[in-house]
Amino acid sequence: MKLLYVNEEIFNISIHQKVKCEGCHADIKKIPHDPVNKVDCLIECHIIEPSSEQKFSHKDVDTYVKKSVHASVDKYGMPKKYQEDMPTCKNCHDEPLYRPLSFFKQVRPGISDTALGRCRVCHKKEEFILRFYNHVTTRLHRTRNPINIAEVCARCHDDPLLVERHGLSTRAVFSYRETFHGKAAGYFNEKVPDCLDCHVNTGESVHQMMNHTDPVSITYKENRYKACANVECHPGASPQFASYKVHAEFNLEQSPVQYYFTLFFIILTGGTLLPLMVIIFLDLIRRLFPDAVIRRRR
Amino acid sequence: MEKYPVIKTLNGQRYFYRFSRNQRFQHIVLALSVILLVLTGMPLKFHNAGWAPYLYKLFGGINTAPIVHKAAGSVLLILFIYHIFYLAFVIYKFQIVPLKIREGRLTAGMFLKLLANQPLVPNMNDVRDIKDLFKYLLFITNKRPEGGLFTWKEKFDYWAPFWGMVVIGLSGLIMWNKVVATKIVPGIVINFSIIAHSDEALLAALFLFIWHWYNVHFSISVFPMGMAYITGYLPEELMIEEHYEYYVEVMKKAGLEKEIRPPHGSHSEVSFDEAGKQ
Repeated sequence: MKLLYVNEEIFNISIHQKVKCEGCHADIKKIPHDPVNKVDCLIECHIIEPSSEQKFSHKDVDTYVKKSVHASVDKYGMPKKYQEDMPTCKNCHDEPLYRPLSFFKQVRPGISDTALGRCRVCHKKEEFILRFYNHVTTRLHRTRNPINIAEVCARCHDDPLLVERHGLSTRAVFSYRETFHGKAAGYFNEKVPDCLDCHVNTGESVHQMMNHTDPVSITYKENRYKACANVECHPGASPQFASYKVHAEFNLEQSPVQYYFTLFFIILTGGTLLPLMVIIFLDLIRRLFPDAVIRRRR
Repeated sequence: MEKYPVIKTLNGQRYFYRFSRNQRFQHIVLALSVILLVLTGMPLKFHNAGWAPYLYKLFGGINTAPIVHKAAGSVLLILFIYHIFYLAFVIYKFQIVPLKIREGRLTAGMFLKLLANQPLVPNMNDVRDIKDLFKYLLFITNKRPEGGLFTWKEKFDYWAPFWGMVVIGLSGLIMWNKVVATKIVPGIVINFSIIAHSDEALLAALFLFIWHWYNVHFSISVFPMGMAYITGYLPEELMIEEHYEYYVEVMKKAGLEKEIRPPHGSHSEVSFDEAGKQ
């Protein structure tokens, strides 16, 4: 089913509230309109970027994505196998994720009034603050809970079909949730790293995420420890530190040594507790019939 | 009169000395820190369970509970080290020194024999007692196992946490100081530490809360709670039930041969009691 009307209430509080219909539906020239193309987020859009005085576009984001691990084409420009699985903008950026800062932060929500006072000197209209300042600052803050980020990635990276089809070694978010980072994230700790903290090179955007086989990637074997050694995380972490398997699933195929190590403890636990529980059970029965005996001791 | 007589009579009931004040103190520190460690550790191991967030919240949630856990873990590790020194001191002062004076020398063989004869070291009597226990539990006999100063159950209760503390303590320290640790060992050791720490902890918790607590809390002989861990003394009937061999030995030493009661569970006990009343 397709919704053919626009919910004004929702639209008017969205980030695109000031954009006119034809700002996105650029091919509509008359009403009633002819059959239209899908909205393309990469067209030149509605704002003039003040520093360059060019019409603004998200096109650069796309060029980065096209070079990244999430691109639908390989480095020669040829379509990848299962191209249709690769994410488009909206796979990650759908509306519920664009909730305002106050939804997630447990500290005092909203933007600092002190900061706003400085803006108001030049930008007289409150609209500026509502739309542009918010738009910029929400990107400067960490607006989302780590678990929220993980959920976005999990849509594809925990989908068994996709994991299998693309030969990925692990269900990424499942294994993340088994680490201390993931468990702490589940308990709403916002300081622990989420997927992006370790998979995006410092100073770059999520759109530039690279495959771990690419030497420029932060997840490349030799670079990995740099993500851990972040001054806010584990300063002084050595390359050895990063050989810790973050995304280990302890099954026989992936990590047999860990699998048998775990199995040892399971057997140890069962082997210790079961006999003892049998003794407790027998003891309880024995106490019910203290006088019953096969061979009475004289 | 000595401060802790081996046999103490209180309100006509005989009590037998089990644990010194130092040992009781060690046990309480051990018990409290372990309970705290389990309560602050399990919500992380079973983070998906419904009860986990509520239990975790009791200890301040993700921001505070790990600190409580590390603090309790430190107490336990310090206790462990203290216990090793305590053990070495007690064995040295009360056994090795007198032995040296008696024999005039100390050979490696004598030393090893002395270690093997420590009351908590498992020996063939334990095998005998376990065999006898099954005979008793399976209704083959009505004679309970003999049981010396420490029974196989107590030795198990001692050595299982002993091994557990080594495994859990070491892996805990590695995870706590992972940056330093991985300057020496590869990162994969942290993976093994997590498995060992959490799986061994579950084993320890289940062992203590099922087996140990059954023996000292829930078993109808002691319910609601055996008091020896507080008072240091065990009442006569429990002594007879679990440590008959040692009971007879102590009674004889105290010159109370005539008052030695028959083993627990034997039928003559009923007639003995009735005979006593008449």
